[in-house]
Amino acid sequence: MNSETLNTLDTYSKNKYKYGFVTDIDNEKPKKGLNEDIIKFISQKKNEPDWMLDWRLKAFSKWKKMKEPKWANLSFPEIDYQDIYYYSAPKGFEKKPKDLSEVDPKLIETYNKLGIPLEEQKVLAGVAVDVVFDSVSVATTYKGELEKLGIIFCSIGEAIQKHPDLIKKYLGSVIPPGDHSFSALNSAVFTDGSFVYIPEGVKCPMELSTYFRINAENTGQFERTLIIADKGSYVSYLEGCTAPKRDDNQLHAANVELIALEDAEIKYSTVQNWYPGDEDGKGGIYNFVTKRGLCAGKNSKISWTQVETGSAITWKYPSCILKGDNSIGEFYSVAITNNFQQADTGTKMTHIGKNTKSKIISKGISLGRSQNTYRGEVSFLRKAEKARNYTQCDSLLVGNQCGAHTVPYIDSKNNTAVIEHEASTSKINEDQLYYCRQRGLSHEEAVSLIVNGFCKQVLQELPMEFAVEAQKLVSISLEGSVG
Amino acid sequence: MNIQDNYLKNKKNIFFSENKDIQTYREKLINIFENDRFDKKNNESLKNINIKNFTDFKYKYLISEETSVINNNQENSYSIVSVNGQCSSFKDDKIEITKILDEDYNDFSKNDTIENNDHFVNLNSLFLNSGFKIVIKKNHNIKIKISNIITDDDLTIFQKNNYICEEGSSLNLIEEYENKNNSTSNLLNVIKLEKNSQLNHFLIQDNSPNHNLIITTHSSCKKDSTYTQKVYNFSEGYVRNFHYSELIETNSEADLQGIFFLKDNNTSNNKTFIKHLAEDCKSNQVYKGILNDRSKATYFSNTYVDQVAQKTEGYQLSKGILLSDNASYFSKPELKIYADDVKCSHGSTIGPIDENAIFYLRSRGMSKIAATKILISSFINEELSSIDDEQMSEMIQKKLVRYLSKVK
Repeated sequence: MNSETLNTLDTYSKNKYKYGFVTDIDNEKPKKGLNEDIIKFISQKKNEPDWMLDWRLKAFSKWKKMKEPKWANLSFPEIDYQDIYYYSAPKGFEKKPKDLSEVDPKLIETYNKLGIPLEEQKVLAGVAVDVVFDSVSVATTYKGELEKLGIIFCSIGEAIQKHPDLIKKYLGSVIPPGDHSFSALNSAVFTDGSFVYIPEGVKCPMELSTYFRINAENTGQFERTLIIADKGSYVSYLEGCTAPKRDDNQLHAANVELIALEDAEIKYSTVQNWYPGDEDGKGGIYNFVTKRGLCAGKNSKISWTQVETGSAITWKYPSCILKGDNSIGEFYSVAITNNFQQADTGTKMTHIGKNTKSKIISKGISLGRSQNTYRGEVSFLRKAEKARNYTQCDSLLVGNQCGAHTVPYIDSKNNTAVIEHEASTSKINEDQLYYCRQRGLSHEEAVSLIVNGFCKQVLQELPMEFAVEAQKLVSISLEGSVG
Repeated sequence: MNIQDNYLKNKKNIFFSENKDIQTYREKLINIFENDRFDKKNNESLKNINIKNFTDFKYKYLISEETSVINNNQENSYSIVSVNGQCSSFKDDKIEITKILDEDYNDFSKNDTIENNDHFVNLNSLFLNSGFKIVIKKNHNIKIKISNIITDDDLTIFQKNNYICEEGSSLNLIEEYENKNNSTSNLLNVIKLEKNSQLNHFLIQDNSPNHNLIITTHSSCKKDSTYTQKVYNFSEGYVRNFHYSELIETNSEADLQGIFFLKDNNTSNNKTFIKHLAEDCKSNQVYKGILNDRSKATYFSNTYVDQVAQKTEGYQLSKGILLSDNASYFSKPELKIYADDVKCSHGSTIGPIDENAIFYLRSRGMSKIAATKILISSFINEELSSIDDEQMSEMIQKKLVRYLSKVK
């Protein structure tokens, strides 16, 4: 064989290898679009039993007949559901940065401001973690401890395999797949999420967080979380990461279901900080989340705390159905919108049982050209004797290009129930600002301090380590828009 | 009979039907009704309403032989009796009253309300069959009392009144609705307040159970003007009070207040909407409701502050007392704010009568009913004691006593 032939053969074989490799990856990723095949593909990928596939397909057939809810005070272009990947293997497989020097410096700067340790920064920036940071071992240590107490904490996919009875009983019991179009969509195509079961009488000794699992499974855009607190148990759950995880998914439609049985308590905290789009309002996440908790048993309690600073569009109403007598629902929220962000967020408290109580504290801050809406419903059904609600929603406006809106719905069908609602809208108090400036703070620092004070009622409800970061997050969100 | 049939059949009796522009406009409205048939699901303002009463009705209207009377009983004080929504013309150096038909049709055809999607206002434009226009001349201080009388049963009255308060004028307007027959009255008031003028508008509603009253007010305030409205609803029949106010020039003020007393199966829908479109304006919306038996009420309040409307003060308050466990109250106090230098707030409460207060009174020897009655009176005392007019105050007190006598 002459050298020319060898060369040709060499090139040919290399080429073939290259193409073959690409084809393999293509097989891993289904095509864009939503149809029954995709759902079957997802179900198969996750190794799901038939009943789960049926459940998904049923949800899908419902979704096909539904329209998106349009009542929110949001404007965005029509979502093309056929232009989205519904199953993606860990994203950026080939393009993962090798170390922090390859990560966007802007992102690193933010991490530093939040005071996140270097190791964690690597995780969040998506650096190939298993090499640098052995969080698997961290996760397993916790897992062992939880298992001793009988607590089940795993991904929803694993739960479908290992705990089909619990899944069959509770999945979709609080948010039926046919509730509205986003819940149907999520039920059809959800790929990941957490499952928590706290057995009777167990007080979970630590704050459970998705963070422990972050390198094991990449949180999908259609997350499904199910938390069940059995009689007399307690759990505090932290959702998401506190640091800005750049994510180029356009649409997030997560579903979160909480079930608290007799005397149980669930505390659910979220700090949402997804990519809000740039200064001109380009890009950013559409966040359509359904979160609902059911206080099924007597004396149960569900408490939602959220700090919303990210996403181009936020459509989120963590709500409580207070079915058990003496049950309590709480909602604490801070929503900050900047630039061209739009947030329509609030809660829904449905009082069914006797002596049920609910409390809503909502703080909205609008800056730049953003629109921030509080939308909340409190309803007392006929049997909700002696039920009680207190709602407070305050809005703060910074700049004259933004909007703050309050849309409460109050419905009382019981004459022993008492409901109180108050709201106020104002700008930052000049006197307070003057006082801070006098003491040597810059305008920006002063605004940040006042806003933090304004949100304090909510921030103090967050678990300790979350609270510190949330406070810093608030300051970062305000950056560049004041003064 | 549905809306379309009614319209086609009675076209020639309806005002301005010979005018082409209005006819095309009305045909457009007919189309709206065909496409959007009072969709209760997507329109909260239709909550609790028996829609059939308003979509399938029999159009009936007649000009009564009883003529309306305008009296100039004292200086600066007039009393008007409007019969079936009609009023004869009158003119002196202080006021000018014209019949709707004598007026330029453009004044009446224009639909000035903020919400052009209001079905009941559209119905009014479609079937317009009565109304008048009152102009208060410059710098005059006038008091007018209007008694609305409907002569026959089953009449459907679609009335539009225009009020214009010229510069520097002041008007005390008392409107009484006391009808004992089974009619339906759909009334639209369009009020224009010129510079530095003032209007105190009292609406006293006390109709019998089968009388439906739909009343919509649209007021717009120019510089330094003030519009105050007080609604007292003692009706046993359905009442819909929708009042819109626009503050279009600086330093103007709007104050919309209302109290309603409901019992039996009665329902009432209330809405106030204030739009701040200029700087330094003030607004206030206060509604209080007392609901007994199986009555139902809704109250929507809305404050809109435009981007230019800095230094705005806007307040809302809604309070409801449920006296029976079958009563229900829905309230939706809304704020929409696009300016930053504003002071806006709303408060809303719904609940029973304070048990501690009842206990206090009972421990002083009062019966439970007497204690309840005292507490109801005190709940609305602020509104009642602010009435300057002695005669009116007495009248309202009487109606209150009548309502309280049914409370058990």
